[in-house]
Amino acid sequence: MVEAEAELKRLMLAGLAGDAAAHRALLAAVARSLRAYYRARLRGAPEDAEDLVQETLIAIHTRRDSYDPAYPVTAWIYAIARYRMIDHWRRGQRRGGDHIPLDDAPELFTAAQDEAADAKRDVMRLLDALPKKQRDAIQLVKLDGVSVKDAAARLNLSESDVKVSAHRGLKTLMRLMADTES
Amino acid sequence: MKTDDLIDALARDTAPPPTPPASRRVVVALALGLAVGLFLLITIFGMRPDIGAARMPVMMKAMFAALAASVALPVLLQLAKPGRPLGWRLAAVGGFVALSVGLVAVALMGGDPTERFKLWMAGAFPWCVAIIPLLAAPTALLLARLLRDLAPTDLRASGAALGAVSGGVGAMVYAMYCPVDSVAWVVTWYSVAIALCAVLGAFAGARLLRW
Repeated sequence: MVEAEAELKRLMLAGLAGDAAAHRALLAAVARSLRAYYRARLRGAPEDAEDLVQETLIAIHTRRDSYDPAYPVTAWIYAIARYRMIDHWRRGQRRGGDHIPLDDAPELFTAAQDEAADAKRDVMRLLDALPKKQRDAIQLVKLDGVSVKDAAARLNLSESDVKVSAHRGLKTLMRLMADTES
Repeated sequence: MKTDDLIDALARDTAPPPTPPASRRVVVALALGLAVGLFLLITIFGMRPDIGAARMPVMMKAMFAALAASVALPVLLQLAKPGRPLGWRLAAVGGFVALSVGLVAVALMGGDPTERFKLWMAGAFPWCVAIIPLLAAPTALLLARLLRDLAPTDLRASGAALGAVSGGVGAMVYAMYCPVDSVAWVVTWYSVAIALCAVLGAFAGARLLRW
Protein backbone atom coordinates (compact mmCIF):
# COMPACT_ATOMS: atom_id res chain seq x y z
CA MET A 1 0.00 0.00 0.00
CA VAL A 2 2.75 2.43 0.95
CA GLU A 3 4.63 1.23 -2.13
CA ALA A 4 1.53 1.74 -4.28
CA GLU A 5 1.23 5.29 -3.01
CA ALA A 6 4.87 6.13 -3.65
CA GLU A 7 4.89 4.61 -7.13
CA LEU A 8 1.53 6.03 -8.19
CA LYS A 9 2.45 9.46 -6.88
CA ARG A 10 5.68 9.42 -8.85
CA LEU A 11 3.76 8.49 -12.01
CA MET A 12 1.06 11.06 -11.33
CA LEU A 13 3.48 13.93 -10.84
CA ALA A 14 5.52 12.92 -13.89
CA GLY A 15 2.32 12.67 -15.93
CA LEU A 16 1.19 16.10 -14.80
CA ALA A 17 4.59 17.43 -15.83
CA GLY A 18 3.98 16.12 -19.35
CA ASP A 19 5.50 12.62 -19.29
CA ALA A 20 3.09 10.64 -21.49
CA ALA A 21 4.64 7.24 -20.67
CA ALA A 22 4.22 7.86 -16.94
CA HIS A 23 0.66 9.00 -17.46
CA ARG A 24 -0.07 5.86 -19.45
CA ALA A 25 1.49 3.67 -16.76
CA LEU A 26 -0.59 5.40 -14.12
CA LEU A 27 -3.85 4.89 -16.03
CA ALA A 28 -2.99 1.23 -16.68
CA ALA A 29 -2.18 0.58 -13.02
CA VAL A 30 -5.28 2.39 -11.85
CA ALA A 31 -7.44 0.48 -14.34
CA ARG A 32 -6.31 -2.83 -12.83
CA SER A 33 -7.14 -1.67 -9.31
CA LEU A 34 -10.46 -0.18 -10.37
CA ARG A 35 -11.49 -3.38 -12.14
CA ALA A 36 -11.01 -5.44 -9.01
CA TYR A 37 -12.71 -2.77 -6.91
CA TYR A 38 -15.83 -2.45 -9.06
CA ARG A 39 -16.14 -6.17 -9.80
CA ALA A 40 -16.16 -6.91 -6.11
CA ARG A 41 -19.02 -4.48 -5.67
CA LEU A 42 -21.02 -5.22 -8.81
CA ARG A 43 -21.04 -8.98 -8.71
CA GLY A 44 -22.79 -10.52 -11.66
CA ALA A 45 -22.49 -7.39 -13.79
CA PRO A 46 -18.94 -7.36 -15.13
CA GLU A 47 -19.98 -5.12 -18.06
CA ASP A 48 -21.27 -2.51 -15.64
CA ALA A 49 -18.01 -2.80 -13.77
CA GLU A 50 -16.03 -2.25 -16.96
CA ASP A 51 -18.22 0.76 -17.82
CA LEU A 52 -17.39 2.22 -14.45
CA VAL A 53 -13.69 1.52 -14.95
CA GLN A 54 -13.79 3.51 -18.19
CA GLU A 55 -15.84 6.32 -16.71
CA THR A 56 -13.48 6.63 -13.80
CA LEU A 57 -10.43 6.60 -16.05
CA ILE A 58 -11.86 9.46 -18.07
CA ALA A 59 -12.72 11.30 -14.86
CA ILE A 60 -9.21 10.79 -13.52
CA HIS A 61 -7.80 12.00 -16.80
CA THR A 62 -9.99 15.04 -17.42
CA ARG A 63 -9.93 16.15 -13.78
CA ARG A 64 -6.27 15.49 -13.17
CA ASP A 65 -5.72 19.14 -12.34
CA SER A 66 -7.91 18.54 -9.29
CA TYR A 67 -5.13 16.49 -7.72
CA ASP A 68 -3.50 18.33 -4.84
CA PRO A 69 0.07 17.00 -4.43
CA ALA A 70 -0.02 17.87 -0.72
CA TYR A 71 -2.22 14.79 -0.20
CA PRO A 72 -1.88 11.09 -1.16
CA VAL A 73 -2.73 10.29 -4.76
CA THR A 74 -4.36 7.02 -3.67
CA ALA A 75 -6.87 9.00 -1.59
CA TRP A 76 -7.59 11.18 -4.61
CA ILE A 77 -8.18 8.19 -6.90
CA TYR A 78 -10.22 6.39 -4.30
CA ALA A 79 -12.47 9.40 -3.72
CA ILE A 80 -13.18 9.62 -7.46
CA ALA A 81 -13.72 5.86 -7.78
CA ARG A 82 -16.13 5.87 -4.88
CA TYR A 83 -17.93 8.92 -6.24
CA ARG A 84 -18.42 7.30 -9.63
CA MET A 85 -19.87 4.23 -7.95
CA ILE A 86 -22.28 6.24 -5.80
CA ASP A 87 -23.29 8.10 -8.95
CA HIS A 88 -23.85 4.75 -10.64
CA TRP A 89 -26.13 3.61 -7.81
CA ARG A 90 -28.02 6.88 -7.82
CA ARG A 91 -28.60 6.65 -11.54
CA GLY A 92 -29.77 3.10 -11.20
CA GLN A 93 -31.98 4.05 -8.26
CA ARG A 94 -31.28 0.66 -6.93
CA ARG A 95 -32.32 -0.36 -3.51
CA GLY A 96 -29.51 -0.07 -1.04
CA GLY A 97 -27.99 2.94 -2.73
CA ASP A 98 -27.46 4.46 0.68
CA HIS A 99 -25.67 1.42 2.00
CA ILE A 100 -22.48 1.51 0.06
CA PRO A 101 -19.78 0.08 2.27
CA LEU A 102 -17.63 2.85 3.68
CA ASP A 103 -14.38 1.06 3.22
CA ASP A 104 -10.98 2.62 3.17
CA ALA A 105 -8.72 3.57 0.33
CA PRO A 106 -6.18 0.79 0.96
CA GLU A 107 -8.60 -1.83 -0.24
CA LEU A 108 -8.64 -0.30 -3.69
CA PHE A 109 -4.95 -0.82 -4.16
CA THR A 110 -4.48 -4.27 -2.72
CA ALA A 111 -6.17 -6.15 -5.52
CA ALA A 112 -5.81 -5.91 -9.28
CA GLN A 113 -7.49 -7.53 -12.25
CA ASP A 114 -5.72 -7.58 -15.52
CA GLU A 115 -8.03 -8.76 -18.23
CA ALA A 116 -9.96 -5.88 -19.68
CA ALA A 117 -13.43 -6.90 -20.71
CA ASP A 118 -15.39 -5.18 -23.42
CA ALA A 119 -17.50 -2.43 -21.96
CA LYS A 120 -21.21 -2.68 -22.54
CA ARG A 121 -21.46 0.45 -24.58
CA ASP A 122 -19.27 1.66 -27.33
CA VAL A 123 -17.54 4.94 -26.65
CA MET A 124 -17.09 5.38 -30.38
CA ARG A 125 -20.81 5.50 -30.95
CA LEU A 126 -21.22 8.09 -28.20
CA LEU A 127 -18.72 10.30 -29.98
CA ASP A 128 -21.34 10.86 -32.67
CA ALA A 129 -23.51 12.66 -30.17
CA LEU A 130 -20.91 15.38 -29.55
CA PRO A 131 -20.89 18.73 -31.34
CA LYS A 132 -18.88 18.45 -34.55
CA LYS A 133 -16.03 20.65 -33.35
CA GLN A 134 -15.52 18.61 -30.19
CA ARG A 135 -15.88 15.35 -32.07
CA ASP A 136 -13.31 16.30 -34.67
CA ALA A 137 -10.88 17.55 -32.03
CA ILE A 138 -11.14 14.30 -30.07
CA GLN A 139 -10.93 12.15 -33.16
CA LEU A 140 -7.78 13.81 -34.44
CA VAL A 141 -5.91 14.58 -31.23
CA LYS A 142 -6.91 11.76 -28.92
CA LEU A 143 -7.64 8.88 -31.26
CA ASP A 144 -5.58 9.46 -34.39
CA GLY A 145 -2.67 10.91 -32.44
CA VAL A 146 -2.29 13.98 -34.65
CA SER A 147 -0.43 16.86 -32.99
CA VAL A 148 -2.50 19.78 -31.76
CA LYS A 149 -0.77 22.04 -34.25
CA ASP A 150 -1.59 19.83 -37.25
CA ALA A 151 -5.14 19.26 -36.01
CA ALA A 152 -5.61 23.02 -35.70
CA ALA A 153 -4.39 23.52 -39.26
CA ARG A 154 -6.61 20.76 -40.56
CA LEU A 155 -9.73 21.94 -38.74
CA ASN A 156 -8.99 25.58 -39.45
CA LEU A 157 -9.12 26.44 -35.74
CA SER A 158 -6.62 27.97 -33.35
CA GLU A 159 -4.48 25.60 -31.31
CA SER A 160 -6.07 26.62 -28.03
CA ASP A 161 -9.48 26.16 -29.61
CA VAL A 162 -8.55 22.58 -30.49
CA LYS A 163 -7.25 21.92 -26.98
CA VAL A 164 -10.33 23.36 -25.33
CA SER A 165 -12.68 21.52 -27.72
CA ALA A 166 -10.96 18.20 -27.08
CA HIS A 167 -11.05 18.78 -23.35
CA ARG A 168 -14.70 19.83 -23.30
CA GLY A 169 -15.54 16.93 -25.57
CA LEU A 170 -14.02 14.45 -23.13
CA LYS A 171 -16.03 15.93 -20.29
CA THR A 172 -19.23 15.74 -22.32
CA LEU A 173 -18.34 12.21 -23.28
CA MET A 174 -18.04 11.27 -19.63
CA ARG A 175 -21.48 12.66 -18.96
CA LEU A 176 -22.90 10.78 -21.93
CA MET A 177 -21.32 7.58 -20.69
CA ALA A 178 -22.97 8.11 -17.35
CA ASP A 179 -26.35 8.89 -18.88
CA THR A 180 -26.52 5.99 -21.31
CA GLU A 181 -26.02 3.55 -18.51
CA SER A 182 -28.92 1.86 -16.76
CA MET B 1 -14.39 -0.23 -26.83
CA LYS B 2 -11.65 -1.98 -24.95
CA THR B 3 -10.41 -0.25 -21.86
CA ASP B 4 -6.85 -0.62 -23.10
CA ASP B 5 -7.71 1.42 -26.21
CA LEU B 6 -9.27 4.08 -24.03
CA ILE B 7 -6.09 4.26 -21.97
CA ASP B 8 -4.07 4.66 -25.16
CA ALA B 9 -6.31 7.49 -26.30
CA LEU B 10 -6.21 9.29 -22.96
CA ALA B 11 -2.46 8.90 -22.56
CA ARG B 12 -1.83 10.80 -25.79
CA ASP B 13 -3.19 13.91 -24.22
CA THR B 14 -0.68 15.18 -21.68
CA ALA B 15 -1.13 18.90 -22.21
CA PRO B 16 -2.39 20.47 -19.00
CA PRO B 17 -6.18 20.84 -18.99
CA PRO B 18 -7.02 24.39 -20.06
CA THR B 19 -8.74 25.56 -16.92
CA PRO B 20 -8.16 28.97 -15.33
CA PRO B 21 -7.03 28.98 -11.67
CA ALA B 22 -9.93 28.19 -9.34
CA SER B 23 -9.02 30.86 -6.79
CA ARG B 24 -9.66 33.69 -9.24
CA ARG B 25 -12.94 32.16 -10.36
CA VAL B 26 -14.09 31.88 -6.73
CA VAL B 27 -13.41 35.57 -6.15
CA VAL B 28 -15.30 36.48 -9.33
CA ALA B 29 -18.26 34.23 -8.37
CA LEU B 30 -18.48 35.73 -4.88
CA ALA B 31 -18.23 39.33 -6.11
CA LEU B 32 -20.77 38.74 -8.86
CA GLY B 33 -23.12 36.91 -6.49
CA LEU B 34 -22.90 39.78 -4.03
CA ALA B 35 -23.62 42.32 -6.76
CA VAL B 36 -26.63 40.44 -8.12
CA GLY B 37 -27.90 39.94 -4.55
CA LEU B 38 -27.63 43.70 -3.91
CA PHE B 39 -29.45 44.41 -7.15
CA LEU B 40 -32.27 42.05 -6.09
CA LEU B 41 -32.44 43.66 -2.67
CA ILE B 42 -32.63 47.20 -4.03
CA THR B 43 -35.22 46.38 -6.68
CA ILE B 44 -37.45 44.22 -4.45
CA PHE B 45 -37.07 45.67 -0.95
CA GLY B 46 -34.96 48.82 -1.18
CA MET B 47 -32.31 49.83 1.37
CA ARG B 48 -33.38 50.69 4.88
CA PRO B 49 -34.35 54.36 4.88
CA ASP B 50 -32.03 55.38 7.73
CA ILE B 51 -29.00 53.57 6.32
CA GLY B 52 -26.84 56.69 6.66
CA ALA B 53 -27.53 57.15 10.38
CA ALA B 54 -27.43 53.39 11.06
CA ARG B 55 -24.02 52.93 9.47
CA MET B 56 -22.49 51.23 12.48
CA PRO B 57 -25.08 48.49 13.12
CA VAL B 58 -25.38 47.84 9.38
CA MET B 59 -21.63 47.38 9.16
CA MET B 60 -21.52 45.11 12.23
CA LYS B 61 -24.26 42.92 10.79
CA ALA B 62 -22.54 42.73 7.43
CA MET B 63 -19.28 41.80 9.15
CA PHE B 64 -20.94 39.03 11.13
CA ALA B 65 -22.37 37.64 7.89
CA ALA B 66 -19.01 37.98 6.13
CA LEU B 67 -17.36 36.07 8.98
CA ALA B 68 -19.88 33.25 8.56
CA ALA B 69 -19.11 33.09 4.83
CA SER B 70 -15.38 33.13 5.41
CA VAL B 71 -15.35 30.21 7.86
CA ALA B 72 -17.45 28.12 5.47
CA LEU B 73 -15.38 28.99 2.40
CA PRO B 74 -12.25 26.96 3.36
CA VAL B 75 -14.48 23.90 3.90
CA LEU B 76 -16.02 24.36 0.46
CA LEU B 77 -12.65 24.80 -1.24
CA GLN B 78 -11.19 21.78 0.52
CA LEU B 79 -14.14 19.64 -0.59
CA ALA B 80 -13.80 20.82 -4.18
CA LYS B 81 -10.86 18.50 -4.81
CA PRO B 82 -11.11 14.77 -4.04
CA GLY B 83 -9.45 12.93 -1.20
CA ARG B 84 -8.57 15.76 1.16
CA PRO B 85 -9.47 15.70 4.87
CA LEU B 86 -11.16 18.78 6.34
CA GLY B 87 -8.93 19.13 9.42
CA TRP B 88 -8.88 22.59 11.04
CA ARG B 89 -11.47 23.93 8.63
CA LEU B 90 -14.22 22.12 10.49
CA ALA B 91 -12.85 23.37 13.79
CA ALA B 92 -13.08 26.94 12.48
CA VAL B 93 -16.78 26.43 11.77
CA GLY B 94 -17.20 25.06 15.29
CA GLY B 95 -15.40 28.10 16.65
CA PHE B 96 -17.74 30.39 14.76
CA VAL B 97 -20.81 28.61 16.16
CA ALA B 98 -19.38 28.91 19.67
CA LEU B 99 -18.72 32.61 19.10
CA SER B 100 -22.32 33.14 17.96
CA VAL B 101 -23.74 31.37 21.00
CA GLY B 102 -21.43 33.47 23.21
CA LEU B 103 -22.55 36.70 21.52
CA VAL B 104 -26.21 35.91 22.09
CA ALA B 105 -25.56 34.94 25.71
CA VAL B 106 -23.60 38.12 26.46
CA ALA B 107 -26.20 40.30 24.77
CA LEU B 108 -29.00 38.68 26.76
CA MET B 109 -27.12 38.87 30.08
CA GLY B 110 -26.75 42.62 29.65
CA GLY B 111 -30.48 43.22 29.38
CA ASP B 112 -33.23 43.32 31.97
CA PRO B 113 -34.15 39.68 32.82
CA THR B 114 -37.86 40.31 32.30
CA GLU B 115 -37.19 41.78 28.89
CA ARG B 116 -34.85 38.97 27.78
CA PHE B 117 -37.25 36.83 25.89
CA LYS B 118 -38.79 39.81 24.18
CA LEU B 119 -35.34 41.06 23.20
CA TRP B 120 -34.43 37.71 21.75
CA MET B 121 -37.54 36.48 20.03
CA ALA B 122 -40.31 39.00 19.82
CA GLY B 123 -38.60 41.93 18.13
CA ALA B 124 -40.38 41.32 14.87
CA PHE B 125 -41.19 38.45 12.59
CA PRO B 126 -37.81 37.07 11.40
CA TRP B 127 -38.30 37.74 7.71
CA CYS B 128 -34.57 37.33 7.24
CA VAL B 129 -34.97 33.54 7.48
CA ALA B 130 -36.96 33.63 4.23
CA ILE B 131 -35.24 36.54 2.51
CA ILE B 132 -31.58 35.61 3.11
CA PRO B 133 -31.85 32.31 1.16
CA LEU B 134 -33.42 34.25 -1.73
CA LEU B 135 -30.56 36.77 -1.74
CA ALA B 136 -28.08 33.89 -1.45
CA ALA B 137 -29.41 32.11 -4.54
CA PRO B 138 -27.33 34.02 -7.16
CA THR B 139 -24.11 33.27 -5.29
CA ALA B 140 -25.13 29.64 -4.84
CA LEU B 141 -25.79 29.15 -8.55
CA LEU B 142 -22.50 30.79 -9.55
CA LEU B 143 -20.55 28.71 -7.03
CA ALA B 144 -22.32 25.52 -8.11
CA ARG B 145 -21.36 26.13 -11.73
CA LEU B 146 -17.77 26.66 -10.72
CA LEU B 147 -17.71 23.64 -8.43
CA ARG B 148 -18.91 21.32 -11.16
CA ASP B 149 -15.75 22.14 -13.09
CA LEU B 150 -13.67 21.09 -10.11
CA ALA B 151 -14.32 17.64 -8.73
CA PRO B 152 -16.37 17.49 -5.53
CA THR B 153 -16.89 13.86 -4.52
CA ASP B 154 -18.94 14.37 -1.37
CA LEU B 155 -21.89 16.16 -2.89
CA ARG B 156 -23.94 16.47 0.27
CA ALA B 157 -21.15 18.05 2.32
CA SER B 158 -20.07 20.23 -0.61
CA GLY B 159 -23.65 21.39 -1.07
CA ALA B 160 -23.94 22.24 2.62
CA ALA B 161 -20.70 24.23 2.56
CA LEU B 162 -21.78 25.95 -0.64
CA GLY B 163 -25.11 26.83 1.00
CA ALA B 164 -23.39 28.25 4.07
CA VAL B 165 -21.02 30.42 2.03
CA SER B 166 -23.90 31.69 -0.12
CA GLY B 167 -26.03 32.22 2.98
CA GLY B 168 -23.28 34.38 4.46
CA VAL B 169 -23.17 36.46 1.28
CA GLY B 170 -26.97 36.69 1.26
CA ALA B 171 -26.94 37.86 4.89
CA MET B 172 -24.34 40.52 4.03
CA VAL B 173 -26.74 41.88 1.45
CA TYR B 174 -29.73 41.60 3.76
CA ALA B 175 -27.91 43.70 6.37
CA MET B 176 -28.46 46.73 4.11
CA TYR B 177 -32.21 46.32 4.55
CA CYS B 178 -32.62 44.66 7.94
CA PRO B 179 -34.41 47.08 10.30
CA VAL B 180 -33.57 45.26 13.57
CA ASP B 181 -30.30 46.06 15.36
CA SER B 182 -30.60 43.91 18.51
CA VAL B 183 -27.45 41.76 18.71
CA ALA B 184 -29.22 38.72 20.17
CA TRP B 185 -31.94 38.85 17.56
CA VAL B 186 -29.60 39.38 14.61
CA VAL B 187 -27.06 36.72 15.59
CA THR B 188 -29.80 34.19 16.25
CA TRP B 189 -31.88 34.68 13.12
CA TYR B 190 -29.02 35.31 10.73
CA SER B 191 -27.46 32.07 11.95
CA VAL B 192 -30.74 30.23 11.49
CA ALA B 193 -31.04 31.65 7.97
CA ILE B 194 -27.48 30.64 7.05
CA ALA B 195 -28.01 27.17 8.55
CA LEU B 196 -31.17 26.85 6.48
CA CYS B 197 -29.14 27.72 3.36
CA ALA B 198 -26.67 24.98 4.31
CA VAL B 199 -29.49 22.44 4.66
CA LEU B 200 -31.02 23.45 1.33
CA GLY B 201 -27.56 23.21 -0.22
CA ALA B 202 -27.03 19.73 1.18
CA PHE B 203 -30.24 18.56 -0.49
CA ALA B 204 -29.68 20.39 -3.76
CA GLY B 205 -26.03 19.38 -3.90
CA ALA B 206 -26.65 15.82 -5.02
CA ARG B 207 -28.37 17.11 -8.18
CA LEU B 208 -26.71 20.46 -8.73
CA LEU B 209 -23.10 19.41 -8.26
CA ARG B 210 -23.07 16.17 -10.26
CA TRP B 211 -20.28 15.85 -12.77
